[in-house]
Amino acid sequence: MTYVEVSLPRLVAALGLIAVAIVLSWQLGLGLGRSLVWGAIRAGVQLVAIGYFLLFLFGHESPPFVFGVLAVMLSVAALTSARRIEHVPGRRSLAPHALASIALGGLIALVPVFAFIVRPSPWFEARYLVPISGMILSNAMNVVAQVFERVFSMARTERASIEQRLALGASPRQAMEPQVRAAVRAALIPTINGLFTVGLVALPGMMTGQILSGTSPEQAVRYQLVIVYQLVAVAAVSGAMAALFARRILFTPREQLRDG
Amino acid sequence: MLEGASFAVRCGEIVTLEGPSGCGKTTLLRVLGSLIDAEEGSVRLDGVDARTLPPRTYRTRVAYVSQEPPMLEGSVLENVSLGPRLRGATMREGAAAALLGRVGLEGFGPRVARDLSGGEKQRVALARALANDPGVLLLDEPTSALDPAAAARVLELVRDVAATGLAVVVVTHTAEHAASLLGTRYRVEQGRVRLRKGAP
Repeated sequence: MTYVEVSLPRLVAALGLIAVAIVLSWQLGLGLGRSLVWGAIRAGVQLVAIGYFLLFLFGHESPPFVFGVLAVMLSVAALTSARRIEHVPGRRSLAPHALASIALGGLIALVPVFAFIVRPSPWFEARYLVPISGMILSNAMNVVAQVFERVFSMARTERASIEQRLALGASPRQAMEPQVRAAVRAALIPTINGLFTVGLVALPGMMTGQILSGTSPEQAVRYQLVIVYQLVAVAAVSGAMAALFARRILFTPREQLRDG
Repeated sequence: MLEGASFAVRCGEIVTLEGPSGCGKTTLLRVLGSLIDAEEGSVRLDGVDARTLPPRTYRTRVAYVSQEPPMLEGSVLENVSLGPRLRGATMREGAAAALLGRVGLEGFGPRVARDLSGGEKQRVALARALANDPGVLLLDEPTSALDPAAAARVLELVRDVAATGLAVVVVTHTAEHAASLLGTRYRVEQGRVRLRKGAP
């Protein structure tokens, strides 16, 4: 099976789509022109760079190299999800907690799949490990960021209710149960919505890519289903872990709610 | 900053802490309720340093009701029975109804707690705190958001509660309300907070 090649001139022509957004921004006074130009350039540079990097990686595959790449992805995901979270008591860094949450969710979602379902050969084959892990870690990153943001924000806005529960003899877990439940539910909603709409609203990127590159739709669908189920698992585990860490950060050893 | 804040309250006694807004009364009450710790000094319950007691044990023995206490989701009955439920105990419906009767809210059990008036919420909060059968009751401005009639009912309730043997500490900025409680009155002074026994 062949695929239609995108030549460089045609790729440059695709920039016209960015031009549409720039014109609209200018007409509506959105002030987004500079960001759109910079974003288009960055996207191009990043994707070209990752393209060459993947070529290099596939050519020099070894367990340390592949796992080094995965470690970098995990670290960037952790740092990104811990950034810009407000109302964290003592302004302490959330990065180690984000790292643990994403790593545990990632392990649970990825290891069984690579061990029993997809089974690359060799087992560290980057063509499978890197892109699939990337999708999973990326979802974990977003879920963890949302859980952190919501739990810390609600600990501030709903302080009176939380302290009322504490005053009645609640443990920190009981005192924050409604807030934690709401935060984890909210963070899982996009992933669950994805389960319901996959194939109806959008054909997922990986499946589309596989079909375009010649994989049979049947196989592409199977891969995508595995990914979708992994996304659910990682969202649930990483979200729950992030909530657990957030709660620990919020309370003193004497079970008092810290100021955020 | 709290300094020299030393006083005792005995079973059946009412202590009022008076002073203007922002002088540290609520901070002091929160220290007593173990919601925050003082940097120095100690709170003693029956002669035992509160910090040596498990926080949950302490808080079930020392009930704290905040200013404009939040009603938690659910019915009045669910609110009142929350303390025992948090400990894994069940509160008989009759016991909860009796508590509601004690605070003048007979038949309010099935109503949505968040829909009640300010005075009714204050009384539900009192019943909710009493459901844990505490020995000490801490009340932060229990009458601040109430009309005179509702405030009078709450003050009467506080006196009744103390008469059953509870030690009660009430924070208020209204001298008239403090006086009507007929307890020991302390003034919390602005700046470096000091307690001074005697009517302001």
